[in-house]
Amino acid sequence: MVEETETPKPYELLDDGFEHPRCAVLLIGCGNPLRGDDAAGPVLVRRLWERDALPPTVRLADGGTSGMDVAFQMRHADRVIIVDAASTGAAPGTVYRVPGEALEQLPPVTGIASHDFRWDHAIAIGRWLLGPLMPERIDVFLIEGRDFGFGESLSPEMDAAIDRVADLVLAECVDG
Amino acid sequence: MSTTIPTGAGAGTKIDLNVSPVGRVEGDLDIRVTIEDGVVTDAWTQAMMFRGFETILRGKDMRAGLIMTPRICGICGGSHLYKACYALDTAFKTHVPYNATLIRNIAQAVETLQSIPRYFYALFAIDLVHEKYRDSPLYEEACRRFTAYVGTSYQPGVVLSQKPVEVYAIFGGQWPHSSFMIPGGVMGAPTLSDITRSMAILNHWKDNWLEKQLLGCSIDRWLANETWEDVLAWVEENESQRESDLGFFIRYALDIGLDGYGAGWGNYLAAGTYFDPELYDHPTIEGRNAALINRSGVYAGGTHHEYDQARVSEDVAHSFYTGSDAVHPWDGTQNAIDPHDGAKEGKYSFAKAPRYDVAGTGRLPLEAGPLARRVVAGKPKTADHQDYDPLFTDILAVKGPSVLVRQLARLHEAPKYFRLVMDWLSRIDLHGSFYTKPEDPIDARGYGGTEAARGALQDWVVIEGGKIANYNVITPSAWNIGPRDKDAVLGPIEKALVGTPIHDVHDPVELGHVTRSFDACIVCTVHAYDGKTGRELSSFVINDMV
Repeated sequence: MVEETETPKPYELLDDGFEHPRCAVLLIGCGNPLRGDDAAGPVLVRRLWERDALPPTVRLADGGTSGMDVAFQMRHADRVIIVDAASTGAAPGTVYRVPGEALEQLPPVTGIASHDFRWDHAIAIGRWLLGPLMPERIDVFLIEGRDFGFGESLSPEMDAAIDRVADLVLAECVDG
Repeated sequence: MSTTIPTGAGAGTKIDLNVSPVGRVEGDLDIRVTIEDGVVTDAWTQAMMFRGFETILRGKDMRAGLIMTPRICGICGGSHLYKACYALDTAFKTHVPYNATLIRNIAQAVETLQSIPRYFYALFAIDLVHEKYRDSPLYEEACRRFTAYVGTSYQPGVVLSQKPVEVYAIFGGQWPHSSFMIPGGVMGAPTLSDITRSMAILNHWKDNWLEKQLLGCSIDRWLANETWEDVLAWVEENESQRESDLGFFIRYALDIGLDGYGAGWGNYLAAGTYFDPELYDHPTIEGRNAALINRSGVYAGGTHHEYDQARVSEDVAHSFYTGSDAVHPWDGTQNAIDPHDGAKEGKYSFAKAPRYDVAGTGRLPLEAGPLARRVVAGKPKTADHQDYDPLFTDILAVKGPSVLVRQLARLHEAPKYFRLVMDWLSRIDLHGSFYTKPEDPIDARGYGGTEAARGALQDWVVIEGGKIANYNVITPSAWNIGPRDKDAVLGPIEKALVGTPIHDVHDPVELGHVTRSFDACIVCTVHAYDGKTGRELSSFVINDMV
């Protein structure tokens, strides 16, 4: 058995000796498309993909169903942008940009289930899996939703706000 | 119904426990058990969510199963793709090139290699640190290794589980939710560097997890074990094997009695998977059994039977559907009813009850999963390409089935499948064909099956006028968590729960061990509560992630 002191860190074991193509930005849209305005993240990813205006160094990820796999993808990104819906009581369509300090105060990783994967879970899981391989630059956009019922369509406020955030994100990806 | 909660383990006490999921996660399964004198005497598995994929698929393009069914599951979507594709291959009467069969095999197997550690550490082993076991001399070591997120074995096991599906992504473009298998072959042809890279990634996984952490020896040394006695001798053979995760797990499981309950019916089903590329270049339903590497089969009443999909039926007597009680999947319907109305007729689950008509015996519930595969692998071999493996025939005879034996079967498949994948990778002809364009049928029927990590997974499709007229997926969890049938015969997990000793009714971790040993596809936080007062007795997490 290997002595404790020689044991590599789990994230070190991910290195199989091959170079892996990196992306400048990994954009992750979190949410459930079947729950009304909770669809914000995946819808935004879809709309950006359809605009076909992103530089090839930007990678889009649907964080709705892929769970842990999205966290693994962060290993190969220089920068991560996360978009998710929020329910804070503010006016629907309100866009938040979460300040960096808030990212230091995340929930413990032990409370997470992949069927309930929020933006803060994505970061917490990423840090657990990847340690120092996790990108340092993380930006989080949250959009206040109105309806989160089963099978609801997007509210007009959310629909419009997704396009606004898409413009913001696109500008960041192009300008850096 | 008696609802007295005993203060001690007094004789003559009878108690009903409801084990029900709560809202934080999408719970799919409730378990209700009756406990008498500290032992489970009856059980009901209740799947409380409706899966409507078959309804969605009706009327769609005949290829829609390739896109839709991989979304049924986030952890075994590649298995869904594999069998959905073979269902269409049989309906289209395709030609599947040698290379395409190899790549499909590789993809199916690497997904299962991913699932073995992810399931073992993240879903099953975290129950092993339960304080019920604190008096075991091995308890402290179990906590050190298996505690969720921070265990010294948990973390590298889960992190490295990503490596095998990196190989899937090389061939399939992405994992999960790829749709790269199509009738007639696969989309894309690999390059030499794709092959060498895949081999390097898998060797890296073997060196750092499979041999170093799980086995503590070479895969060849582990696979030389042919009997339970061999396994026990292997554990004590040297320090490295004794202290490996598998060596430790076997010692700990024996110490805490996981070999003593959870037996189930002892009747098994394997749909089989992986095809010999020369024997299944024209996939047909009739030719399927003979082409399988991991064979199909039914083991019932101590006898092996040839598997025939025509003998499968589903029963809805205790399920929230209208319909008859012995319907073949090609004719299946999905007319769900309100659970409140269904409950008045004694129905209690959205899972149907799959049954298999065993020649000379009649329709039986069968257990699906790694143990079922290993039992079927013990059949005498009739052709060179077939997997023959006597280990679990012996273990079943000597030890009988249990929670421990089910885990052992799952872990045993990691070195087996690793060896298969490396062989298939070495046989791909980079200059050969990967796809033969088929002709679309107008009217046809198809059947495709595979073995997902957790057991037999099969599709039946009916195509009429170029569209899907009917579709049916029977998952391994349907076989295992299915409810009673019209004759009130218990489903496999229900049966396995009966006889389970419950140490503390306020915290029945043993129910988690049994249910989890099937890797039933459920994500649930479990609460046990007093059926009369509704007072919550305990809450313990069976499953925190994945």
